[in-house]
Amino acid sequence: MGTVVTVDVYTTDGQAGDEVSRQLASARALLQRADAVFSTWNPRSPISRLRRGEITVSQAPAEVGEVLELCATARELSGGWFDPWAMPGGVDPTGYVKGWAAQRALGAFRAGHISGAIVNAAGDIASFGGLGRDKPFSIGICDPFSPGRLAAVVCLSGAIATSGTYERGNHLIDPHSGRPKARAASASVTGPDLGLADALATAIAVAGPSSLALIEALDGYEALVITGDGYLRWTERFPFRAR
Amino acid sequence: MKRAPIVITATVAGLAGVLAFHTTSSRLSLGTLPGAAAAPQAPATTDPSASGPGRSAGGSSSPPKRGSAAPTQPAGTRTVDGTRTVDGPAVNYNFGVLSVSVTVSRHKITKIGIASLDDGGMSRSQYIDQQAIPLLEQEAMQAQSANIQGVSGASYTSAGFQQSLQAALHTLGLR
Repeated sequence: MGTVVTVDVYTTDGQAGDEVSRQLASARALLQRADAVFSTWNPRSPISRLRRGEITVSQAPAEVGEVLELCATARELSGGWFDPWAMPGGVDPTGYVKGWAAQRALGAFRAGHISGAIVNAAGDIASFGGLGRDKPFSIGICDPFSPGRLAAVVCLSGAIATSGTYERGNHLIDPHSGRPKARAASASVTGPDLGLADALATAIAVAGPSSLALIEALDGYEALVITGDGYLRWTERFPFRAR
Repeated sequence: MKRAPIVITATVAGLAGVLAFHTTSSRLSLGTLPGAAAAPQAPATTDPSASGPGRSAGGSSSPPKRGSAAPTQPAGTRTVDGTRTVDGPAVNYNFGVLSVSVTVSRHKITKIGIASLDDGGMSRSQYIDQQAIPLLEQEAMQAQSANIQGVSGASYTSAGFQQSLQAALHTLGLR
């Protein structure tokens, strides 16, 4: 996947413990597995072979079919604005896999001696719990016009994904034209699942603020869009941290 | 339940085949640092000076105002030791290897910089040197003043930067 994932585990008793170490090892294994299966950079990975037509979905590892099904759901929920099948070079679920893998890795952790955990896949974050009881995590959103600053701070419950064009150049593809295009400087989506949040953030970064209605209609998901001219638009219950 | 949570950071760098994985708890690493043994964890206290976002729709892209240069010191964490500097581990990112240097006075980060940077002479080096890294330094300083546990954004370099920074902070017994 070509990305770096950091995991923060917040323990309640100040002890790392064998249990937490085991959970970390299991999270790492899940991420490595996802990388091995879905890396489009590795020509021998199952996803690369699928893209070249050397194998079918049913011949690929089970995760491939599972992720493609989730991608199809995300495509539908996003009104077609997220579409791995419209990518140049054949089906490319990369835009979904990063969040999906981070969410899966988070599943390795269980409450108990842990008050919360954060899996941060290069700016897309899956989490549960918080700093302690009734102390949720606060997550900053990069200001797309000044990446060293924060445009907003959210009180996180679950996942947050942010898509934009600023640091990596214009890498978002409009599925309707197959060409690079973004109608927002940055789009962030919060919700229970990072895979879907990531896909939706990509979709509304491409589609622009008018697509916020799509998110408003989805239970549990909220969005914040920063427009090309610097305006902020958000869904009704977007979880800004209180002043 | 103790008040100050201990943070355990693990890092996984995919693709390049380089895997850095740390399960060192802050408490364990404290003892290895001279003069730091008595330093309590910097608790993740609520910083009332860090304001939330402007709730008004519209306006310009100007970021929210907050107590920028002088973040509030968490109460009750004064120690007698002076300024300490620690280099984070060299971390692979998409365009090379970098490590972050952190200087701490008591429990406040006073300086963040790049300890080493090897981008293999790639053409991105100029961009990273001159654009991204100063921004990331600024971001880390701001994260401290805003009291947040992470930053969401579309970035490549920041992950490697944060990874090295976080490890350096852990070595200092800070979070």
